[in-house]
Amino acid sequence: MTRRQIWLNLGGLIALIGLLGLFYWTSTGARAVPALIESLKDKDAKVRIAAALALAEIGPAANAAVPALLDQALHDPVFYAGTTAAGALRTIDLVAARQVMTAYLPALQSDDVQTRRTACAMLESLGPAAKPAVPTLGNMLNDTDERVRMHAVGALGEIGIPATLVIPALAKALHDPAHAVRHRALSQFAFSIPSTEAVIPHLKQLLEDKDRGIATLAQSALNSPHRQAKDRASVYVTMLQMSRGANDYALHKLAQLGPEAAGAVSAVIPVLKDERPLHRYLAAEALGAIGPGAKDAVPALIAALHDIDPVVQGSAAEALEAIGTPEARGAADAYRKTSAQK
Amino acid sequence: MSNGKKLTWFTVTLFWGCVVFGLTLHGVVMIAHDAFQRHGAWAEAFQEFRLHLFAPGYNFFLIGILNALPFVLLAIFILFHLGTAAQQAPVIVSRRLSGVAGAVAVAIGLSTWAHLATTLHPDAQGALVYFFLPIYLMGLIPLGYAVGRLAGMLLFKKPAPPA
Repeated sequence: MTRRQIWLNLGGLIALIGLLGLFYWTSTGARAVPALIESLKDKDAKVRIAAALALAEIGPAANAAVPALLDQALHDPVFYAGTTAAGALRTIDLVAARQVMTAYLPALQSDDVQTRRTACAMLESLGPAAKPAVPTLGNMLNDTDERVRMHAVGALGEIGIPATLVIPALAKALHDPAHAVRHRALSQFAFSIPSTEAVIPHLKQLLEDKDRGIATLAQSALNSPHRQAKDRASVYVTMLQMSRGANDYALHKLAQLGPEAAGAVSAVIPVLKDERPLHRYLAAEALGAIGPGAKDAVPALIAALHDIDPVVQGSAAEALEAIGTPEARGAADAYRKTSAQK
Repeated sequence: MSNGKKLTWFTVTLFWGCVVFGLTLHGVVMIAHDAFQRHGAWAEAFQEFRLHLFAPGYNFFLIGILNALPFVLLAIFILFHLGTAAQQAPVIVSRRLSGVAGAVAVAIGLSTWAHLATTLHPDAQGALVYFFLPIYLMGLIPLGYAVGRLAGMLLFKKPAPPA
């Protein structure tokens, strides 16, 4: 081979690498949004689901997809396509996520069992964005249908906040007559929800359950690192500092810990300026759950009352009320008055 | 076709063959496996693969790139090693070809086996193979070359100098 031939082939390889890089660049991030919006209209449900998942990954930069996602969440005949669209909305636009919640809340009272099951699962896919639905979901634990109760437990676990309402509701579900419901509630305490001292007797009681699966899971819940770590908040603070990807999870957990997470205040305050509305919302929720221990966050929360996202504003106002200093209460009251006038 | 032209053609084919094989192996295995499970629905299997090219939790595109890395390095080595071989004595060319055959056999054999095994017997940690395979290949390809070259030295002896 001549030198020229060798370098020509090498040049071809570099061109191929460049083309692959270009393909990757155009197929990911905000640049992929128009094509993904088109995919949401595809006849194949798998294409719509994959598009919704990809849009969720892109986050707020996929804002142009909100109307199509909203339509998919509310009207898609394929259940999983609807839940993935709702899940995407919570990372892109909290207001749209709340619209989905508002649309499905009345369905919880439907006479049709399947409609109630679907509504619970849809609220589950919205995660912490569906916090206002927690009291109604708590009532669903009295539903006559076992699968409705199971989905309600799943939704409560996924929403996770406010822990003061979610944990007692899930503790109640630990004594549900249906095995599947007890199992789902136990799974929440074993893998997701931090069990408080009040829950421990319930878990210990289940160690004697006739069902070995339930008893083993109860043991897992009692041994759960969520319960055993001495300084649980510091674990989540480290996660918050180390990885942007861990933000959702770590903030959600800090919001569930409540006053115990007081040591995390300084790490949470900067998140109030994060680009993702879900992060800002969860940061405000975490500070609100910490309560008076988060008084250093008052100036940042007052600034968050002017956030572009009304859901974040509302959470910031609730957090200020929970912190309860005169300055915080004054700002929250002023915000409430202005909101009422609007 | 002269020997020199044959060697050039062979080198270029092997160079691009390595690059294309490395880039497409994961896709071909996934699509073939999916099509087999769907009783020959190749178009659907291809669509399924395309959907997961950049999907979170799948990233088939990045897996393809990761898998191609050692193959691209091997291809560049082949291009220079065989591309400049024509200036050498025929016995050296044969030994180089033998070494390259060893390297290519290890690269193709090991990666095909790893991808097939991961696809046919999936488990929770299976995807880790896509991360570690290129690292193993980087170490084993030179070993394959050394074995091939050794075999070449045994098979292709230098002609005895005239008495």
